[in-house]
Amino acid sequence: MLCLKTIIDSRSASFLDIKEILRFKDLLWNLSKRDVLIRYKQTFIGVLWAVIRPLINILIFGLIAQFIERSASLSDKFITVSAGVVLWTMISTAINDISNSMVANSNILTKVYFPKIIIPLSSLTVCLIDFFISFIILLVLRIFYLGLPGFEILLAPLFVIYAMLFSFSIGLFFAALNIKFRDVKFVIPVLVQIGFYVCPIFLSLEFYLDKLPENLEPIFLLNPLVNIIEGFKYSFLGEPMTVPIIYMYASLGITFLFLFISVRYFVKFEKTFADFV
Amino acid sequence: MSDPIIHINNVGKSYKLKHLLGTSKDDMFIHSLKNWTKNLFSRSQADEEFWALQNISFDIQKGDRVGIIGRNGAGKSTLLKILSRIVAPTTGRIEYDGRMASLLEVGTGFHGDLSGRENIYLNGSILGMSRKEINARFDEIVAFSEVEKFLDTPVKRYSSGMYVRLAFAVAAHLDPEILIVDEVLAVGDAAFQKKCLGKMREISGQGKTILFVSHNMAAIQNLCNKSLVLKNGQVDFSINDTNQAIRHFIKESIVLGKTQLRKRTDREGELQIKFDGICLVDKNGVEVNGIKSGEEINFVIETKVEAKKINNVGIAITIYSDEGIEMMTLANHIADKPFETVSEDNKLFCNIKKFPLTKGDYVANLSMYKDGILQDYIKEGFSFTVYEGDFYGSGKILPGHKPSVLIDHQWKIK
Repeated sequence: MLCLKTIIDSRSASFLDIKEILRFKDLLWNLSKRDVLIRYKQTFIGVLWAVIRPLINILIFGLIAQFIERSASLSDKFITVSAGVVLWTMISTAINDISNSMVANSNILTKVYFPKIIIPLSSLTVCLIDFFISFIILLVLRIFYLGLPGFEILLAPLFVIYAMLFSFSIGLFFAALNIKFRDVKFVIPVLVQIGFYVCPIFLSLEFYLDKLPENLEPIFLLNPLVNIIEGFKYSFLGEPMTVPIIYMYASLGITFLFLFISVRYFVKFEKTFADFV
Repeated sequence: MSDPIIHINNVGKSYKLKHLLGTSKDDMFIHSLKNWTKNLFSRSQADEEFWALQNISFDIQKGDRVGIIGRNGAGKSTLLKILSRIVAPTTGRIEYDGRMASLLEVGTGFHGDLSGRENIYLNGSILGMSRKEINARFDEIVAFSEVEKFLDTPVKRYSSGMYVRLAFAVAAHLDPEILIVDEVLAVGDAAFQKKCLGKMREISGQGKTILFVSHNMAAIQNLCNKSLVLKNGQVDFSINDTNQAIRHFIKESIVLGKTQLRKRTDREGELQIKFDGICLVDKNGVEVNGIKSGEEINFVIETKVEAKKINNVGIAITIYSDEGIEMMTLANHIADKPFETVSEDNKLFCNIKKFPLTKGDYVANLSMYKDGILQDYIKEGFSFTVYEGDFYGSGKILPGHKPSVLIDHQWKIK
């Protein structure tokens, strides 16, 4: 009896098929490469833009921040804000790009089979590549202004991974939803904008805690974004963290819950994507 | 008989038809709101179910080259999409063994800004090849595509021929156990099509299994040893010898062509004016069933007009042989000029002094235009038989059984 290996039926998978995703790892890489490559095609200075764009971003926000809060020392403030902005740029871009990724790649989706999660994963990869360049710039600026960072810097990758998990969990859910309801593309920019103002990116955490009523404080601190940004700033500057560590764990738990729900939702509807897109 | 390589059991696919057409002003939110309120009071299903495929069961043996035949909307593409795991079936189950690759279009995921080289890697991995496999076959792919010189040029600067060649080259080097192909041969020039067919024969010669959908009966005849016919989402003629399947399919469409025109509902266009009847009338004004080659004949068309009369009407009758080869088109707005005004009392005549087709069965697609805008289009709206006739007046008849065109001509020697 011949062993029939692949089975096609209407039942949806219950969770990710990791082996299948690994089989398509080259596709993940090539899709990411495509997105990076086409961005700099037919430009005069080419890949230099990859450095100039984040540099301008950092300079604008860093300089404006100095005019807003004069309490901290200038260079401190500059680096703090820059660190927040750099990580926030990755998170917001990732959420936005991942949410739109399935629709943007619908031409492939309706013509070939592959594990659909490859597409949002490749969007995340692209954001990570961009972030890496910004991170190097940030590190150079930090060394230039404040000298070598302490050992806390070794924690930075952990917070970056945390940030990726969070953006992926949010983006993945909307990516699946976007296939049925294109309203998502209008909702995401609004959410991202709100996110910018409710997180201590531009203004310090103390500023928020001062203004907030006491009973809202725990809710504010449970926001994974607040913990990610604060943690990343800490790893860069080494100033003791204001957020109690318990919130860090709790928010991480929330993120994993989000991720679980998103993946379940995505996998459940994976087989119907091509019908709706 | 050995075990099948593909086993398809009772596969069906249904789509929910949202009835949004009448209320196109409504968006989805209002629509679902209305649905919801409606469902509060009654249990009626607001959306209609449409079965694109139903009860499809068949087996494919290893090494078979199977053609899937059917008119538009018969469910061919849906079946291929289910087999290639792009969409999931609503019912049933498919089991297959080995690696499957599907080519539902050439150049899936090609990006105009990327160079030929970059696109080979991208497209290859989209089709399921690993980096290692692409590396190993890279030179072969390039050689097959004949675009060596332009490998580092963005493909948006390619001619369409080069583009298609490169795209097919990648696909042709997939090396799966099962290959699913949909109409890709409809692109490219004749020489390249021949090369593609050759490549596919070569693949099938290696004991690979191929599933092939095409409107081109000649291509199916050429490539496939077995075929099945789909009709309205069901298997109409189960998997069998290709020639038998094609004969069955053609017979079907000729039967369809004989059904009364006014009963046909599968029309496209604005329908301000539409076909109501069509018949053949000989030179004495008598309605006939068939034509003899070389005879004078009239196609007589009756119409149904929504307003009293319609201006500027163009009509085209495109005639196909029973093998699906386009023979000729009769069009008033091309050969002469459109009818200025047409009302329902009018009969429209197309007169041919010497009918130029050899004996055989023919089918015609009918289309009607007002001011160049399609009003009515009926695929295979009319069929007729041509009998042997003395076209040249020489008492001799062109030998051969293939449908072909006869032309008046003179021979001389000087």
